[in-house]
This record gives sequence, C-alpha cells and structure tokens, in this order.
Amino acid sequence: MGAYINSLSCISHHNTISEDFFFEETPALPSSNFLFVTAPVYKDYIPANTIRRTSHILKMGISAGLMCLRNAGEEKIDAIITGTAMGCYEDTDKFLRSIDDNDERMLAPTSFIQSTHNTVAGQIALLTKCHGYNFTYVHQNLSFEYALLDALLLLKEGEAQTILVGGVDELIPPLCELFERAGHIKKTEDLRHPIWDSKTNGYVAGEGATFFNLSAKANEKSIAKISGIKTIQKITDAKDLLENSNSFLKKIGLTKQDVSLVLSGINGDSEKDNRLKEFNTQIGLPIAYFKHLCGEYFTASGFALWLASKIIQKQSVPTCVFPNSIVPQNIKHLLIVNQFNDQYYSLICVSQC
Amino acid sequence: MSTRVHITGMGIISAIGDSVEETFLSLSECRTGIAKINHLQTLHKNEFVCGEVKHSNEELNKMAGTALFNRTTVLGLMAVQEALKNAEITNIKEARTGFISSTTVAGMCHSELVYKDFFEKKSNENFIDSHFSGISTNEIAAHLGIDAYVTTISTACSSAANAVMLGARLIKNNILDRVVVGGVDALSKFTLNGFNTLMILDTEWCKPFDENRKGLNLGEGAAFLVLESEDQVKKYDKKTLAFLSGYGNANDAYHQTASSPEGHGAFLAMQKALQVAGFDARKIDYINAHGTGTPNNDSSEGIAMQTIFENKVPKFSSTKAYTGHTLAAAAGIEAVISILSIQHNMIFPCLNRLEQMKDLQITPVTTLEKNVDLKHVMSNSFGFGGNCSTLIFSKN
Amino acid sequence: MSIYIIQKTYNTYTVYKMEVQEIVTSLKSQIVEQLNLEEIKPEDIDTDAPLFGTGLGLDSIDALELIVLLEKNYNVKIEDPKESKAIFASVKTMAEYIAAHTK
Repeated sequence: MGAYINSLSCISHHNTISEDFFFEETPALPSSNFLFVTAPVYKDYIPANTIRRTSHILKMGISAGLMCLRNAGEEKIDAIITGTAMGCYEDTDKFLRSIDDNDERMLAPTSFIQSTHNTVAGQIALLTKCHGYNFTYVHQNLSFEYALLDALLLLKEGEAQTILVGGVDELIPPLCELFERAGHIKKTEDLRHPIWDSKTNGYVAGEGATFFNLSAKANEKSIAKISGIKTIQKITDAKDLLENSNSFLKKIGLTKQDVSLVLSGINGDSEKDNRLKEFNTQIGLPIAYFKHLCGEYFTASGFALWLASKIIQKQSVPTCVFPNSIVPQNIKHLLIVNQFNDQYYSLICVSQC
Repeated sequence: MSTRVHITGMGIISAIGDSVEETFLSLSECRTGIAKINHLQTLHKNEFVCGEVKHSNEELNKMAGTALFNRTTVLGLMAVQEALKNAEITNIKEARTGFISSTTVAGMCHSELVYKDFFEKKSNENFIDSHFSGISTNEIAAHLGIDAYVTTISTACSSAANAVMLGARLIKNNILDRVVVGGVDALSKFTLNGFNTLMILDTEWCKPFDENRKGLNLGEGAAFLVLESEDQVKKYDKKTLAFLSGYGNANDAYHQTASSPEGHGAFLAMQKALQVAGFDARKIDYINAHGTGTPNNDSSEGIAMQTIFENKVPKFSSTKAYTGHTLAAAAGIEAVISILSIQHNMIFPCLNRLEQMKDLQITPVTTLEKNVDLKHVMSNSFGFGGNCSTLIFSKN
Repeated sequence: MSIYIIQKTYNTYTVYKMEVQEIVTSLKSQIVEQLNLEEIKPEDIDTDAPLFGTGLGLDSIDALELIVLLEKNYNVKIEDPKESKAIFASVKTMAEYIAAHTK
C-alpha cells in the first residue's frame, strides 16, 4: 500500500513557505525553546470574510492546505484527511476562559464553533467545495500517521484519485505555559548543544502545518513516494524497535541496505530520547534529525515527511540536518523513525518515484 | 475485499441504561433518560434538561473496577468492556485486534474544573495528562491490552459512525481480524454553554421532527461495537448480532455548523452507504435518523431522505428524545439501538413528537412498533464541519 | 388637548431619533470589534445598507455574535433567533430596536 506525493506545502518556523528555501544557511542550533511559525500572507489564501474570525491553527491549516493544492495546480480534490492532536486550542482556550469570566452568560459563539477538531478539514472542504470523504484523526503523536494510513487505504480501495492529507498543531501562549509547567520544555541555557548531543531534559516546542497531495499513480509532477507506514503502540526496548523496523522494511520489499538515511525523531530530551538514540546506534545507517528545525509537536512527523520528500526530490541533505561529513548519495529510500515522550513510535518509508 | 463485516458484540452506557439490556428495556418501555441536570456543575443547572448518565464519577469508577479515570475514560471503558464480553473475547492477543474510538471534547469534563485556577492562581492541578483526545483511547487500549491498531477520530457528531466505517474497512482489507469501534463524550460546561450560544438548545424535552421543535437536548454516554471478519467468526464459531453492510461519508460543504436546506451532504452519505451495501434504497426497512430536534437539522435531513428515497421513505424515527444528543457517541449509541431494532423486530418511536412538520411530506413513527421484520436499517449522523455519515445494518 | 398630545409626541419622537443616532454611531464601532472586521472603518458602514447577504456580507454566525453584542452592551435580549433577521436588517433597524427596548 503506497502513494505518490504530487505536491506539498509546509508552514514551519523556517521559511519553508518559499519554494526555493532549503536550509542553506540554517544553523544546527535552535534559536529558542519555542519555535513559532514563519507565516505566509494569509489573505493570499483565505477570503477576507473567513480570515477575520479564524484562529492561528485555522489560518495555518487552511493556508497550507490551499497552498498545497495551488502547488499541484489543482483546485479540486476527492478527499480531505487531517491529523491534529490538540485541535483548535486557541478557540478552546478562549471559550473556556470566557465561560468562567462571564459566569456562563452572554458568551460569543464563534470560538465554540471553531473549537471542534475537524474545523481545518471542514473549512478546506467549504472553500474548495469538496463533498468527498472528510476525516480528522486526533490521536496524540500518531494523528498524522493515521491520517496518512487512511489516505493510503482509500487510494488502495479506489475510493479517491487524489487526496489532500495534512498534519497541523499550534503553539500558543497558554500551551507554552502548560508545557513549561509540566516540565517538558528545555531550558534556554541548554540550547547550546545540538539536540542529538543533548545531555539535558526537555525539548524545544514547535508548531506547524504540512499538507500533501497524494495519488495512487505517479505523474510528471510526482516528488516522492510513500512506500509504507507503521505505527507502534509500545516498544520494550531499542532492539524491539529494530526488529519492528526490519519487519516493516521486509513487508514493503526492502532491507536495511536499501535505506540511505534515517530521519530520526530525537527531540533533545536526553531521558526520553534514550531508546531512540540506542536504536540509532544499532541500526547502522546514517542518521539525520529534524526536530531542531520544526520543534517538537504532536504532528511533527508531517514536517519530517515534507523534509524527507524534499531530500528525495533534490537528492541533497541540508548540512544542519545531517551532522556527519559523509553525505549519502543516490538516496532511493529514506526511513523516518518518530516518537514523542518515548511512546507511540512510527515508521514512514519515503522513496524515489 | 470480499469479507462481510460481522457485528459480534456491543456495549453501551447512556441516560437510558448502563448496559445493552437496560437500554433495551428503556427503549421498549418508551422511557426517556432526559431529565433535570444532576451531576454536571453548571450555573444553567435549572435551565436545561439533559440526557445524563445516572451515576457520579465515583460510582462509575467503582462499577468499572478502576480508581481514577475521568468521566470520559470510564464511560468509554465500561462500554468497551461490555462489548468485548458480549463478543465473548477473553484473549485479545489471539487475533489482530484494533481499537478505534472517537470523541469531541475528550477530557474537557476534568479540564474545565481546574482550568481557571491553573492559569490564574498557578495551582498545581494539571490537565495535560487527560485533556487531549487520544489520551483516553490509549488508556482504555492499555487497560485491555489492545495494541494492533489504536486511534481516535474526531469529526463532531458523526465521529462514532466514522470510527465504525474505518473499522469495517480495516477488516475488509485484511489489516485487522477484529476491531472495537465507537465513541464517547461526557457532558461538560463547555458543550452546554457552547450549544447555548448557538441558540439550538431546547429548555424543555426536545421534539425531533415536530413542527414546533425548538432545539436539542444534550446527552452523554459511550457505545462500542465489536466488528469481526468472516474468517474470524467461522474460526471461533461466533454468533453474529447483525452485519455492517453499508457505510458512507460525505461533506455538505455548505456552512460551518448549519446543514444545507436540501441536505446535500446527507443525501451523498446515504447514497454512498447504499452503493457500498450494493442494494437499492427500497431495501431499507427503517431509518434511525440523526433527528436532533433543531429546526435546521430535521428539515434538512427530512428533505434529503425524501430525495434519496424518491418520496417512498421507509419508516423512520429519531431516538434522541430518549438519550439526548450524545455528540461523538451518538452514532455508536444509535448503532446499538439500530441493532436492537433488528434483533427484536421493533421500531422505537420518535418520542414527544406531536405536530407534522409543514415542510416535509413524511411522518416519523411515533408509537412503539412490534413484530416488524427489519432486514436492513439505516442510521444517520451529521456533524459540524459538514461531516455527514451513514451506516447500514443488516439482519443477514 | 389634542395639540398637546401631538406636541408631546413630536418631542418624544425627536428625542427618540437622537438616541437612535447615538446608538448607530456606537453600534458601528461595536460591530467592527465584535465581528473582527479588520479592514473596515466604522464610519464606512452605511447605516441603511443591508448587513447580511449583500452589504457587509455577514452570515448566521455573525447574527449570533450580534445577539450577544445586544445583550452585553445594551441589555437587550433576543430570545428567538428567527426574529434576528428583521432586527439585523441594517444598522438603523438594530439601533431602532435597541432604542425601543431600553428604558
């Protein structure tokens, strides 16, 4: 079960909205422990009447979705599937606070209406007049993976020819406070070391929206192929993850030798990264990293897929992503290995078309 | 992709009962679960009626044999436990078993109690470990040892139908042998106040498909089905309660919350479900409608039914005057009700419905009907974001 | 007697008209704020132009927001959302409704 990526879009901390940008001068150290997005001009994508009341995640998600369609030169799509673990948190927070501030009286409806998790998918459908299949997955750090799995299944079933799939989560001040007070966030003084060399706890938090236009068959625009996806609810240790990876590759007709590069979901929390670090030493493949660019968030695997696709397309690995001097050549297959909080792992194999 | 999808178990907890058996008794005795608010702490306590589960969180945890789960998780767990027991599954690992849950507000029932103090008084009582949607799914999966495919869907009021649909597809495509599918939502101040701002709540008992309907009553609960492949049923000699023969999801793409006047999304969902089932609309014997009791939904859905059934609409009713609108759980609860209809040859009526809607030619069933041979039952669920889903259950 | 009534009625009408004008002015800024009409200046809103469909192009979600605005700022409650269509036809009809329903 695979799919071809015909266009993609990415709103992230870096200038990924620009077609030409590919981290040429990006440092390996994150600038802050909260990486907020570099936004496009939202009104280039969203009508004024809609934009006036959309929250941060809706602006990001809708724009990234429409950007992806524009990049494909398409206006129509057969299905829309999104993944978001926290949903429309800004609107949720706004409405929740207003309930208490106003003693449950005279509350304004807009933030409640837009707090439902499927609002991004619903709004894209509304703006593109897409009456097709429309699902939203909300399963922690596997939300995007399950959205992708559904898309691949839908293509296999022949139920859609082209599908818009996206992952989006936002980072707003109340969440920054929530994560910080829960002890999740890396201290600023600990940002001196690259996340893959970190000896301290905490991660750099981020946010973003990435969308992909998928089809079952390749066309002249196809950028990369998703060869397979696997979600792992639990691992016992690094060896278990290694066995999972080997059996996953075998199932899609590959071996470790076919994989040129691993894109690893190390996030800089030395304690929680432990087993993944061990896996990285055991797998015997070159390891690249991405969470110092996009930050850690539940749908960061969307950014990883975007980066992986770009690497495959350009056959080039940005220096800030790959700390070793021997850069892999002729990258036919790339393996994304992601996790959050040392739980719920995922494997995505991205290949040349 | 030729295997039929068997339903081998179901579990439910809602305002009308803590189990399938209690639910059936309430349904067949036409006893509503909608009443004054008892457990939810809200300043609107005396203003609205709701379909509350008739137990406190402490009582629920005691019944489930757990200590600390929040209302959403414990309701979900209880319904899943009943479904697995009903399906006679004692060893999860003997087959590729998945769990697909759904929810709209997840752990909000707890978050809203501590939110203000957390931010304003910097209190330590956190909600990060219970608030987000996938958390209760993972907790229930871990409690029961399910790990082959565990996920959560959230598409507002069609959520559980979509969970059922995904489960069916995973079985048909031989990705899973069996899967527990459904949804859960607990009442919260957040949703009560939210729906109140939309001015679609009725302060009195709701009247689905009545000309003078004023809005919906909120409810809460959880319901799950166990779906199994044909091979699995044969291998373990399982009894089949019903078949999931059709399903369809479509988007109205008309408005963020309201349905299009002609119910286009609803029409497409019903059409798709019939296509998957591979039979004509005329084969449907009964429709368990979404029928929330809002002016917009009942009109839109009624017109969509008239269109797809070409004015030969089968018997239909909404059972939301029994349970209230349970949001993500609604389609799960109504799936159980649809299967009970098939099993017991009964149509549970549209309670509290007195006057014919002027813009519809069709009339719902308003009194309990017995000895009706229901071969195929359709169930509709429509949510915000234009999300429209239809399921078809069959006796054989 | 009848002359007096006409006179008094005329005075009340003049006072009423002034109140409506004040409300119109405040309403315009409140509408821009409540509905987040970022690109629009209050003074650019035509008092008599339709608010919904054409004109400002507001929709049913905005109607609900305006219901909240009326209650919050003017203590005027609209119980039935169906009534709102006529009340919110224009800024003028809104102001007249408010003037008629406040002491």
